[in-house]
Amino acid sequence: MMTASLLNTLASPIAMLAPEAGGGHAGGNASAHLEHLVSHVGHGPKWVLLIPFLPFLAFVLNALYAAFGVKSKLPAWTTVALLAVAFATALNMFLNFDGTPYTVQAFEWFNLHYGDKHFVANFSFYVDKLTILWMLFVTGLATLIALYASEYMSHDIGTGYNRFFAAFSLFVVSMSCLVMGDNLIMLYLGWEGVGLCSYLLIGYFYKKPSAVAAAKKAFIVNRIGDLGLALGVYLTFVHFGTVQYSELFQNAQLHHYIDMAAGGDFSHIPGTAQWIALLLMVGAFGKSAQFPLYVWLPDAMEGPTPVSALIHAATMVTAGVYLIARMYPLFLVSEHALPIVAWIGTITALLAATIGMAQFDIKRIMAYSTVSQLGYMFAGLGLLTTTGAAFHVLTHAFFKALLFLACGAVMHGFAGQLDLRKLSGVAWMKGWGIVGVTMLVGCMNLAGLPYITSGFYSKDMILAEAFITPGYAAIGWILVFTAILTAYYTFRVYFRVFVGPQHAEPGDDHHGDDDHGHGHDDHGHDHHGHGFHPHAPGWAINTVLVILACASMLAISLAYIQKEESHGWVGSMVAQSTASFHSPYAEAAHHAHVEHTEMHAVAGPVGTATPGTVFGMDAHQGMILVSGIGAIFGVLLAAYLHGPKGWQGLFLGGREHADKCRMDAIAKRAGPLPKWAENKWYVDEFYHMVLVLPLRIISHIFHWVDKLLIDGLVNVFGFLPRVFAWIIRPSQSGVLQGYAVSMAGGLVVILFVVLIIVTRAGGAS
Amino acid sequence: MTEKLAILWPEIFLFIGTCLVMLTGQWPSRAIRQFTPWICATALMLAFFAAMTSPATQGMFPTIVPYAKMIIATVGIMVLLLLSGTVDRQLEADVDKGKKFQSIRSNRGEFYAFFMFSLTGLMLTASADDLIWLFLALELTSLPTYIMVAVSREEDSSLEASVKYFFLGALGAAIFLYGFALIYGATGSTNLAEIAQVFASDGVSSLGMIGLLVAVIGVSFKIAAVPMHFYTPDVYQGAASPVSAMLAFVPKTAGFLALMFLLGTVGWQDGHLPIELEATLWIMAALTMTVGNILALLQSSVKRLLAYSSIAHSGYMLVGIIAGPGPEGGKFYENGLAAVLFYLFTYGVMTVGTFAVLASLEHRNGKEADHIDDIRGICKSHPVLGWTLVITVLSTLGFPPLLGFIGKLGLFTAGISGGHFALIVVLGINSAIAACYYLRLIAAAYIDDSEKAKDPVYATPFFMRPIAGVLSAGGVLLFMVFSGPIVDGALNAASYNAPVPAPHHDEHHAEDEPLGDDIAMITEINENHED
Repeated sequence: MMTASLLNTLASPIAMLAPEAGGGHAGGNASAHLEHLVSHVGHGPKWVLLIPFLPFLAFVLNALYAAFGVKSKLPAWTTVALLAVAFATALNMFLNFDGTPYTVQAFEWFNLHYGDKHFVANFSFYVDKLTILWMLFVTGLATLIALYASEYMSHDIGTGYNRFFAAFSLFVVSMSCLVMGDNLIMLYLGWEGVGLCSYLLIGYFYKKPSAVAAAKKAFIVNRIGDLGLALGVYLTFVHFGTVQYSELFQNAQLHHYIDMAAGGDFSHIPGTAQWIALLLMVGAFGKSAQFPLYVWLPDAMEGPTPVSALIHAATMVTAGVYLIARMYPLFLVSEHALPIVAWIGTITALLAATIGMAQFDIKRIMAYSTVSQLGYMFAGLGLLTTTGAAFHVLTHAFFKALLFLACGAVMHGFAGQLDLRKLSGVAWMKGWGIVGVTMLVGCMNLAGLPYITSGFYSKDMILAEAFITPGYAAIGWILVFTAILTAYYTFRVYFRVFVGPQHAEPGDDHHGDDDHGHGHDDHGHDHHGHGFHPHAPGWAINTVLVILACASMLAISLAYIQKEESHGWVGSMVAQSTASFHSPYAEAAHHAHVEHTEMHAVAGPVGTATPGTVFGMDAHQGMILVSGIGAIFGVLLAAYLHGPKGWQGLFLGGREHADKCRMDAIAKRAGPLPKWAENKWYVDEFYHMVLVLPLRIISHIFHWVDKLLIDGLVNVFGFLPRVFAWIIRPSQSGVLQGYAVSMAGGLVVILFVVLIIVTRAGGAS
Repeated sequence: MTEKLAILWPEIFLFIGTCLVMLTGQWPSRAIRQFTPWICATALMLAFFAAMTSPATQGMFPTIVPYAKMIIATVGIMVLLLLSGTVDRQLEADVDKGKKFQSIRSNRGEFYAFFMFSLTGLMLTASADDLIWLFLALELTSLPTYIMVAVSREEDSSLEASVKYFFLGALGAAIFLYGFALIYGATGSTNLAEIAQVFASDGVSSLGMIGLLVAVIGVSFKIAAVPMHFYTPDVYQGAASPVSAMLAFVPKTAGFLALMFLLGTVGWQDGHLPIELEATLWIMAALTMTVGNILALLQSSVKRLLAYSSIAHSGYMLVGIIAGPGPEGGKFYENGLAAVLFYLFTYGVMTVGTFAVLASLEHRNGKEADHIDDIRGICKSHPVLGWTLVITVLSTLGFPPLLGFIGKLGLFTAGISGGHFALIVVLGINSAIAACYYLRLIAAAYIDDSEKAKDPVYATPFFMRPIAGVLSAGGVLLFMVFSGPIVDGALNAASYNAPVPAPHHDEHHAEDEPLGDDIAMITEINENHED
């Protein structure tokens, strides 16, 4: 954990610039770009509202299907069709965007005035390039994954199918609110909405205790983060008096702080303003599964695979990255927030990678790789490369969705089998070719094979930044080491499951009467699954896999189109949003090898700073070399330890059976370490000991205090009215005369009491 | 006169309807007989639209008429749905078997006519600007209900309830009429505006104050407040459920309107009634909610429970009366009268739903559902009725965000902004006690379906009754979301013109007699009443 002393050594990178950049004068225009960006927020076209509305329509329709008990694929087609139109709308939004952010109001929501303060939070949407970037891949991936799910979930047609697509659509609605909302309240609404959908979908198999436990875990761990977010939103309003982006980012006070921060002077920025970022950060850690709140994400894989792919890999978990990117100006003015983000991201990346190396469940490995890659994104944010983080979000969304969906196809086809020791040579089985090839593409991207994969470029952007920014080389080396581990565990999966001798044991979901009517594969290597026929994926799954594989590869080009804008298309998308911040070091580095740079879109001081270098080379060039070699080394290591004999194992491997490989021998000699890693370094157990158990003990104590003392008191108070009731009940005798006397008597008594009161108070009146 | 007529169109429509139903209810042709409720409905709707366009008047509450009459017509239509099939069931069954229709045995005509008379009286109460008018309107509201209680069920208990109700009602009327007489004696006028003028110019004389006190306590019979609440449980239980629903809304609304008009004559100066009245109402409010709630705890008869709940709600609403109209041009949350007017509507809508559930269930032998065991597990056996009950009872309990919560919130905030913190604490404690028995009802309906009742209940053949229930539950949900117009209406209706002292007035102060003598005198008189 971070200690205070460590914190002191960690000044924000923006501040460390100050002495070199010449102190205050450089900071003078630091906020100018931001001001320029948000100064002309106009009103946008109403059709933008279709993006949240269409998924909402899908949700309502699916809920109706559920109510009327529809038993067909109708929910899937409804969802796919409406989401596709939503994607088209997002695309249209992108094509028609002229560079000026705008808001579109659906309806007035909160408009409270008290004293001289206004609390305004409308149900409206804020569109700038960051929004568009996020919405493009959210709606696009949601459409594709809904198509995939139409086939994947087909064994549940009926109530479950309707429920799945209802929650799926609601997720997209919530995500739209989160990303497109024009104020922090909308973001919070979406934040909780995606949390709810995540809970519902993790617990989709609600009859399975582990799924229910995982859903609860996700929900509860997220609450911790949400508390941070809620407090952060609250503090934002308290300090800046608004929660609307357009007003917040025009706030003169904020600009002043940014200028001061750029000058390295944090001592004059009020504590509350600095705390906002720290609190928002906690929220981001929860949602994006960063250390120490990452524990829910691996368990979230209990949900159906399309959910893991969309929510727990591609979109929802990047909400934390979005939050920080969106609120980047607030993070810039906090002295410690960005360094903490960078270090937490790095720790998470390394920790999750080490755990991922030792897992045997392929979906779980992918889950840990997600945590690890999210760590990279956070490191990128902390290192002042929002572009790198956003680019990695984008490429990761494609290739991780691809990997999950490929794993899901395996799980679907092999009756829930996910243990990599029980599967082998899947790519060679009849009908599984496409899965094999697309899985390879996904693995290459995740491993970051140099030059040919988009994952490589986005990761490189973050790694290089670590070396460019002085004082962060340690992060850089840790991340390079993690990249080697990543390549290793990724290809460990590939070499064991997809190549080698064919072998498959069905998982627990296999029933004697296999009612899957299509794609039966009669292969002779099936020793164990008596009468088991894996069924190869159908057209929907294959189509989606191919599209995603192509998208992963095409994403390379996103770093290169519009090259003049620095860091390509993604760079331009980020630069023209509130997330825009160009590290002065990066500027200098960029100047060094790109001649024609014109940096108008710079929030940071244009620096005379000298960029850091790697082995005396320009950081970007050096990183391409170092991380490229690292990735190849990791793949070769995986091939040697897990690869099958022959060319499939790159002539390095020696595996002949599904469950025996060279790694076994090494693991034996390594002592308890592999065991510890497999058990996730006992973090869950540690949390249980340190947090859950004491809380449980305390709750038991309070339970008894409550039961004996409080309940006792309450019971007395609860009992008293009854006693009174028994006393006055005889007045309700039912005898007419009694009632009449009581009425008249009551009149007299009241008048008498009033007389006494009036005479007592008489002196005053 | 003509401007008076302009606000009386709703009453005129209702009266025309009343005359028609007296005829059609006795008609030998069954089709025409069965058309009777539709005439009532038409008259109520016409009254609603007529009320919508009622012009402002000159009195202390210039804009109360449209809102009050619109809520009366709205809840009146819901009660009307609920009343279907209450009378003449046996007679019509006999006609089905081929017997001849004997108009002498039919109660239909007068039953609906009395219902309409009562609503007419209620609307007239809202139009009242004179003590005599107010008295007649209040009695026109109440007298028909005595008979409706009697004919609503063919059982001795309903007759007993009716007789009790009539005698005690007469006693209550005598008390407030006596109060009116004293006010007239003190001010020399029966016109409310003139009375207010006199009070404003000369101050409230002791005689006038005693008149007001007696009148307020007497009128509290209509709202079933302590010490005038004794009849409520017996009468609610004795009457058929539809009539009980009507009793929960109609006399209560009349009583609160009358209280507003009477108290308007002295006004809420600096947010406070004169101390005598405030103390009286304070004691009554605190006692009423407490007595109502704690006696409700012990009931196993749902109707009796709802009767006590009705008493308790009167106590809640008295808080709004005490808080008064708040500052000039104040918001809804500062205006106690607006909160009361809003709550009256809320309470009407919710209560009709709860009684509709009871009215829609009966035992094999035709006895209506009343015991709490009768509604056990109805969410499963009769889902529509069960959920109606759950929604309306939750709303009555003031469960956020349902309609009842919005109403109760208004009372709370008005009380707080009026500075009546002690009373608000009492109100809060009482709301907590109330949750105890309301949740028992919900638990019985929703959770407890373990044991099958020995004497199960069945749906009645009158489909209008569950419709009334569904309308009520739907209203709770709908008006919860779209409470804005009603809140605005209530706020507008509660606008109060404080009487200003007349500029030229002879110095003629009422002699300041010590209050004690007067009280002693009244005590004597009341004791004579008991005989």
